Amino acid sequence: MQFLSSHSIRKAISVVQQLFVVALLVVALVSESLADPANNQDEADALRQMSLSDLGKVEVTTVTKEPEEVWKTPAAVFVLTQEDIRRSGATSIPEALRLVPGVEVAQVDSDHWSVSIRGFGAVLASKLLVLIDGRSVYTPLFAGVYWQVQNTPIEDIERIEVIRGPGGTIWGANAVDGIINIITKSARNTHGTLVSTGGGDVDQGLGTARYGGGNDRGFNYRVYGMGFTRGPDFHPEGPNFDDWRMGQAGFRTDWEQGARDAFTFQGDIYREIAGEASQYALYSTPSQVYVYGDGQFTGGNLLARWKRTINAGSDFQIQAYFDRTNHFEPEFGETRDTFDVDFLHHLTLPRQQDFLWGLGIRISPANDIQTVPTIAFLPYKLTDQVYSGFAQDMIPVLDRRLFFTLGSKLEHNNYTGFEVQPSGRLLWTPTPQQSFWGAVTRAVRAPSRIDEDVELTDFAGIQSGLPIYLRVYGNHQFHSEELIAYEAGYRTLIRSHFYIDLAAFFNDYNDLYSFQVEAPFLETSPAPAHAVLPLLTSNGIRGNTKGFEIMPDWKPLSWWQFRPGYSHLEMELENKPTSNDPTSVAGYEGSSPRNQFVVQSLVNLPRKLEFDQTYRYVSALPAQSVASYQTMDARVGWHITKQMEFSVNGRNLLQPHFAQFGGDPDGPVEVKRSVYANLVWRSSEK
Amino acid sequence: MFSERRLWPCALRSLCVHTFLLLIPFAVFALSLYGQQKPTDYQVKAIYLYNFGKFVQWPASVSDKDTDFTVCILGQDPFGSALDAALAGAAIGGKPVTAKRISSLDVSAHCRILFLGSTEANRLRKIMEALDKEAVLTVSDIPEFSRHGGMIEFVTEESRVRFEVNLDAAQQAGLTLSSELLKVATTVRGNAARRD
Repeated sequence: MQFLSSHSIRKAISVVQQLFVVALLVVALVSESLADPANNQDEADALRQMSLSDLGKVEVTTVTKEPEEVWKTPAAVFVLTQEDIRRSGATSIPEALRLVPGVEVAQVDSDHWSVSIRGFGAVLASKLLVLIDGRSVYTPLFAGVYWQVQNTPIEDIERIEVIRGPGGTIWGANAVDGIINIITKSARNTHGTLVSTGGGDVDQGLGTARYGGGNDRGFNYRVYGMGFTRGPDFHPEGPNFDDWRMGQAGFRTDWEQGARDAFTFQGDIYREIAGEASQYALYSTPSQVYVYGDGQFTGGNLLARWKRTINAGSDFQIQAYFDRTNHFEPEFGETRDTFDVDFLHHLTLPRQQDFLWGLGIRISPANDIQTVPTIAFLPYKLTDQVYSGFAQDMIPVLDRRLFFTLGSKLEHNNYTGFEVQPSGRLLWTPTPQQSFWGAVTRAVRAPSRIDEDVELTDFAGIQSGLPIYLRVYGNHQFHSEELIAYEAGYRTLIRSHFYIDLAAFFNDYNDLYSFQVEAPFLETSPAPAHAVLPLLTSNGIRGNTKGFEIMPDWKPLSWWQFRPGYSHLEMELENKPTSNDPTSVAGYEGSSPRNQFVVQSLVNLPRKLEFDQTYRYVSALPAQSVASYQTMDARVGWHITKQMEFSVNGRNLLQPHFAQFGGDPDGPVEVKRSVYANLVWRSSEK
Repeated sequence: MFSERRLWPCALRSLCVHTFLLLIPFAVFALSLYGQQKPTDYQVKAIYLYNFGKFVQWPASVSDKDTDFTVCILGQDPFGSALDAALAGAAIGGKPVTAKRISSLDVSAHCRILFLGSTEANRLRKIMEALDKEAVLTVSDIPEFSRHGGMIEFVTEESRVRFEVNLDAAQQAGLTLSSELLKVATTVRGNAARRD
């Protein structure tokens, strides 16, 4: 009955929403058609009277423009710029990703998020590839990303490229539902000093200091340190466990040696303590334990990249990195080293074919630490190994208006052996202002330790005096989850300040992760005697997801930018005939919003003030016991001087607290309304 | 956990918020009828293109031949109507100025000025090779354009459009840039610049 009423409300809201979107487009088109071309001519005449040196003094506004790579990419790509992120007031990467249509970001508690693309929301979403400056941050232990340790000074991010969908053949492993590629600024663009400090009620303290410099022989560097403390979110029941503090330091050098060679060397080191609620079972009493403790995370990485331009259409790059993560949570721990080497060669074949091929090796030894008797990864020590190669050819036809891209990736991993992931793509640019694209791609999510090696026992209850436990067994026969994706998109620049991007998809999944319920048995050791209901990890679910995203980018006025984005998702999954999984289908289908609506409005006011708002509506997540919600962030920024910027940022303003995602043992934690102020000072160098 | 108590006020508020949001575009549109707007960067860049025509000298072999003074846009056109407005009724050296959008390099276009849209960034080297020192003034706002053999690169600094010049590239193509133009440039690159 609860669901019935929530459904009718949802329906009403969605009708209002659709009306809103339609109204918005009508307004846009009307105002566009009313825009006065004569006025344009008057302005041009006035400007033409100016001398060259006066022209250089005219203050201008920049119009909406998508970067070139977006325009020519036959995939659903979205680029979040530094300016977008700065003006969103985001203090973490997941918060910034909320601006990207088709990406589902839900905050679980102060230090956990569910970040997924086009469905399959989960705290450790398994089918995403996340890269920071070319370094994969996906953990092969849990098949997901620990977002709380993926920090970089927000001011250092140049852009975040997000691809919804499998994205093509050239990317690394697990690029199934999407790719998030975080790119930091070259050290060439971070000269001088920057100090950013802030604080508020939930984001209690934030600080970043950076210093950069360089010489005229192309060598540039920067060093930084950052840290923050975050307070707990709202807990309807249970203690405020989720406070979080961290510190991180790092550097980056970029050296351009002549016009041919570019070297990048960078690294980070971090330490953080994040409050967590854990629940685990014991065979002795109490059978079920709740622990409110701290997760302790330390780690660091070093990355080197050499890029050489051989000639006009040919270049190659070699990248190597080392990444260490130490992960200690109350109920388990892991230390992991990852060594990765990638080679990429780009060349032009006859008839202007753009050919790209590459090779990569990743070796990742890890040591799992068992701290409670009921959670183990067996064997404790294992080295994950991935060898991959790919080739892709883009063939231009019809006077460079139509491009065919064919490619495939061949990957070998230590769980399933060889995996082939081909892709065919088409891009058509009939006029310079519009492009159509379509793609068919096969992608797989290779197994990881959580699928094959886990042994996790949970307490289910007591029946006739006999304790009953559920036990998840990793299955060495687990194979890759498979996707065949059919995608299409259209982009058009209607006017220099009105742009629309549309993308639609049909994703056909097979062999999705599930549990196979096996026959229960009696276990006498460890004592006391208890019954075990085994759940074997399996590939028992198949089905499809379909949906679309529409995102106009409209700059109606020189001082106002308006970006609404709407994403729609339908998931239809089912157990395969052999599968008896009782819960996973509902779990998958109920953990991603069917409708999401995000509007970002950026207003430049006189006296160097900025007023920015983000509004978002996210429909309900029944499997997470989360109702649909809408909320708003707002920011007022003031450029006091060229060097100094002050801002006040409010987040989740429409309600005192509300749940966005489940996942913690004592019910969903509710994210609080919060405010913080921030002051950024930078020395006058760029 | 999933109570109606929480859903109802939310649904009501949602209507209010939507209505409020709905009004914003109208309000702003109404406001826009007042208030002077700043020009866009491409309005100013278009005027620059016209000015470059006046402050650059082409070899006589080129300038005598053409009937029109043609400004070409290669790749995605960021100007829209701004370029046509900037060039409307204009003449350089007694020749009418026309804008031409081209999708590939074509000698028959007789471009005097070639603006490269950002879509051409990764074809830059090929385009530069194809031009092969032809007497065409290359202009773009692709980052590092003037470092990679482009003649004039627009740079936007503190909301003002300025430009950098690669003098070697211009001279190799037989173009003469007036001292007035070089004075206004933020940076003048090349050995020729150092000798002067």
